[in-house]
Amino acid sequence: MDKLLEIKDLKTYFYTDDGIVKAVDGVNFSVESGKTIGIVGESGCGKSVTAMSILRLIPDPPGKIVNGEVLFDGKDLTKVSEDELRHIRGNDISVIFQEPMTSLNPVFTVGYQIMEALMLHQKLSEGEAKKKAIEMIKLVGIPRAEKIVDEYPHQLSGGMRQRVMIAMALSCQPKLLIADEPTTALDVTIQAQILELMNELKNKLNTSIMLITHDLGVVAEMSDHVIVMYSGKVVEDAPVDELFKNPRHPYTIGLMNSIPSLIEEGERLESIKGAVPNPLYLPKGCYFHPRCKFATDECRNGQPELREIAPGHKVSCFRAEEVTK
Amino acid sequence: MTEKNLEVEKKPININDSEEEQEILSPWKMFVRKFKKNKIAVAGLIIFIIMILSALLAPILTPYNPYEMDYSKINQPPSSEHLLGTDEVGRDYLTRILYGGRVSMKVGLFAVIIEIIIGALVGGLAGYYGGWVDNLLMRLVEIFMSFPFLPLAITISAVIGTKVEPQQRMYIVMMIIGLLSWPGLARMIRGQILSLREQEFIQAARALGIRDSKIIWRHLIPNTVGYIIVSATLGMAGAIMSESGLSFLGLGVTPPTPTWGNLIQNAREAYILRNRVWLWLPPGVCIFLAVMSINLFGDGLRDAIDPKSK
Amino acid sequence: MFKYIVRRILNLIPVLLIISILIFGIIKMAPGDPLSTRLDPTSTAEQRAAEREKLGLNDPVPLQYWKWLTKSIRGDFGESTMYRRPVKDVVPKFIWNTFLLNVVVYIIAFLISIPIGIVCAVKQYSKTDNFWTVFSIIGISMPSFFFGLLLIYFFSVKQNWFPINGMVTPGKNAVGWARVTDILHHMVLPAIVLTIGSMASLVRYTRTSMLEVINQDYIRTARSKGLKEKVVIYKHAFRNALIPIVTIIGFTIPGLFSGAVILETVFVWPGIGNVMMESITARDYNMMMALNMFFALLTLLGNLLADIGYALVDPRIKVD
Repeated sequence: MDKLLEIKDLKTYFYTDDGIVKAVDGVNFSVESGKTIGIVGESGCGKSVTAMSILRLIPDPPGKIVNGEVLFDGKDLTKVSEDELRHIRGNDISVIFQEPMTSLNPVFTVGYQIMEALMLHQKLSEGEAKKKAIEMIKLVGIPRAEKIVDEYPHQLSGGMRQRVMIAMALSCQPKLLIADEPTTALDVTIQAQILELMNELKNKLNTSIMLITHDLGVVAEMSDHVIVMYSGKVVEDAPVDELFKNPRHPYTIGLMNSIPSLIEEGERLESIKGAVPNPLYLPKGCYFHPRCKFATDECRNGQPELREIAPGHKVSCFRAEEVTK
Repeated sequence: MTEKNLEVEKKPININDSEEEQEILSPWKMFVRKFKKNKIAVAGLIIFIIMILSALLAPILTPYNPYEMDYSKINQPPSSEHLLGTDEVGRDYLTRILYGGRVSMKVGLFAVIIEIIIGALVGGLAGYYGGWVDNLLMRLVEIFMSFPFLPLAITISAVIGTKVEPQQRMYIVMMIIGLLSWPGLARMIRGQILSLREQEFIQAARALGIRDSKIIWRHLIPNTVGYIIVSATLGMAGAIMSESGLSFLGLGVTPPTPTWGNLIQNAREAYILRNRVWLWLPPGVCIFLAVMSINLFGDGLRDAIDPKSK
Repeated sequence: MFKYIVRRILNLIPVLLIISILIFGIIKMAPGDPLSTRLDPTSTAEQRAAEREKLGLNDPVPLQYWKWLTKSIRGDFGESTMYRRPVKDVVPKFIWNTFLLNVVVYIIAFLISIPIGIVCAVKQYSKTDNFWTVFSIIGISMPSFFFGLLLIYFFSVKQNWFPINGMVTPGKNAVGWARVTDILHHMVLPAIVLTIGSMASLVRYTRTSMLEVINQDYIRTARSKGLKEKVVIYKHAFRNALIPIVTIIGFTIPGLFSGAVILETVFVWPGIGNVMMESITARDYNMMMALNMFFALLTLLGNLLADIGYALVDPRIKVD
């Protein structure tokens, strides 16, 4: 399989008044073309920052990519010029954001917002772009596309807006679609529709998807490969079947045990004790050890490296071999 | 491999080792910390405090009486005895400025108090009760907002002002400024309360059957008080500015009561403007410094109170 | 849109009526006999009584108001006692003078301030931003009359570069181009006061509005589409920041006219503010009444303009 995107030792830090927040701290993974990769973790684990770092959409100041490479089509996106990057944004790589309510500009029609990228990257005329925009709106399953194209975001519902976001993101047929919690803000029924739509379009357009979510259920359904992140680091990296069959990191296991549907009847739902550590005061040793029931002195003092324990399955845990569900 | 073989620790899991390192800050402490970081706002506060102190301590700072005339010493230039000289009836000018600051700041303060009482009441009632109360009060606000401030203030002052003693004019000016400037505040508070009302904790309080008055006092007021304080601070700068403008036109506080505004009025006489700079420059600088320091302080307050700001 | 504007205008009428009643009431409370400035002191008591009757001063106040109102609607605001001419004949000239100084200067200040405010927001905490922040805070805190006096002192008294006050050089009676330059020469100092004062608040306002918009999600979306930073800022961000800015334009236009009272007094600029002060000194009640109504109408129109502008730039406002 050829790698479409490869992230190597990425570090994105935020320099705040209270200290340095290492939001992403040495992350490695790759995305294969035509595949979906899921990035999972609790809020604040650095999954969104990782995704935003790919297109350098981190607000600077306070954020800064301090180290690492983001290789896309042989180019290191952390090093390319702003101009070159702009040709990639929205064209080769596009993004769907979490908040459909606030991610569309309220003063422009949705049609115009879709057309903008088309006119910019595909050099379409206004008329052509509008035709294509209507086509895209139809493609994402919005009825009355000819009318919707001239409407403003506030006239649409949340689910509709997210469909518009998808239409916008896919309009230039990108190679990679980054979807940052695309369904979190939506109703459950709409969620399923949107996910289905993304899958369908992925197959139709052969787009790779990087799906960022805190919902393991969504990951199981959508992804080919899964990355689990905790406190700015990758703690587990495995193909989806392997991960769900044979999770090796206590955190991954904790996440799985806290999903109601995966628990047999009568069994108590477990939760991971404690909360994500404050990124300004990370614990010594393995960042997860204060919440880990398997923690030993080794965990309290040293940081585990990400290591391959089975073909294609990487874990960063000293006791990965001993840990099971 | 099962859990039994693992050396699972039995001690209770320490939720977060790093917790001790973090200080849990009360809103007040957080506010102070944020405010202190803002050096410009702190500087504003210091200047303002100095100005208040010099006004309050005027009787100690100067041996002269601001009203006592001394015809043997009229129109003197600055000297070691009279640092800013004397005016046309021999009063020490520095003393006039110090006492003038007292009046200017007092007018500013009381005008703002009037503004806040009316503004908070109207805005609070409209926002909390909504419906026809809101409609009626907002119509009233709209009418007051359509008043042209300065022309109307001048007209009222010219009409009513002549009916009172010069010593009482100070109160008239406070009333005029206060009565004409509350609508903005009322609108803001109404907006605040409208959005608070929709928030979960108020809904919850209502669902629990808590009395209106209690909701207002325990939830709505504490949640709007920050905004009120900020508006009050910035409003005071505005009120001092309005007072000085009115007094400069001769329609605010009138002599013999000194205020910074009516002291500058001297400069409308070409001879004084040209030859006695010390008579108009210092009060002007005082107004500027007072208004600026309050503005800086007020901006700092707003940034420190606003949870959205860094 | 048209319907919306008409409805808003109809809405203004009751407000204007209430304001006129209030102003009329206030002015009726004025002490002193409005006749004192009209008739010479030697007039007999009978003459005075006859005059009072003729002017309707013996009528009950509501009736007087009604008479005033019905006349004013037809444009008759009575006679100005200080000019001994109908108010409606004297006022337009003053309005024009004020317009010339204030509005023209304000438009210029506006056009400069907006780009500056945008740059300050985009480069927050940069040197440029710091400079304009200091400029704004000084400009906002400086009373216009004091600033005016300082300029007069330094540039007219000390340096003699500009005339101390007035709008034209007295006795010069220049015509044509010479008159234009003479007026411009007189305009410089008051224009500086006005420009700096308006710029101070406009720069600040634009900066705040832009800062609020710049961190919105849709700006990130615009960037993620690959749009040029210029397009992101000047189109996507500014188009949103314009919504509050439009409102402020509506509010400042009446503010300018009423601020003119102070500015014109300092520079003895023969505009509406100056005449307002004169009418107060001269107890020219018809004039005061007319001027107050003019200011009130202006404020209402300013608010109306703000609302219309708002509806134009914000698609979320429903106008129908």
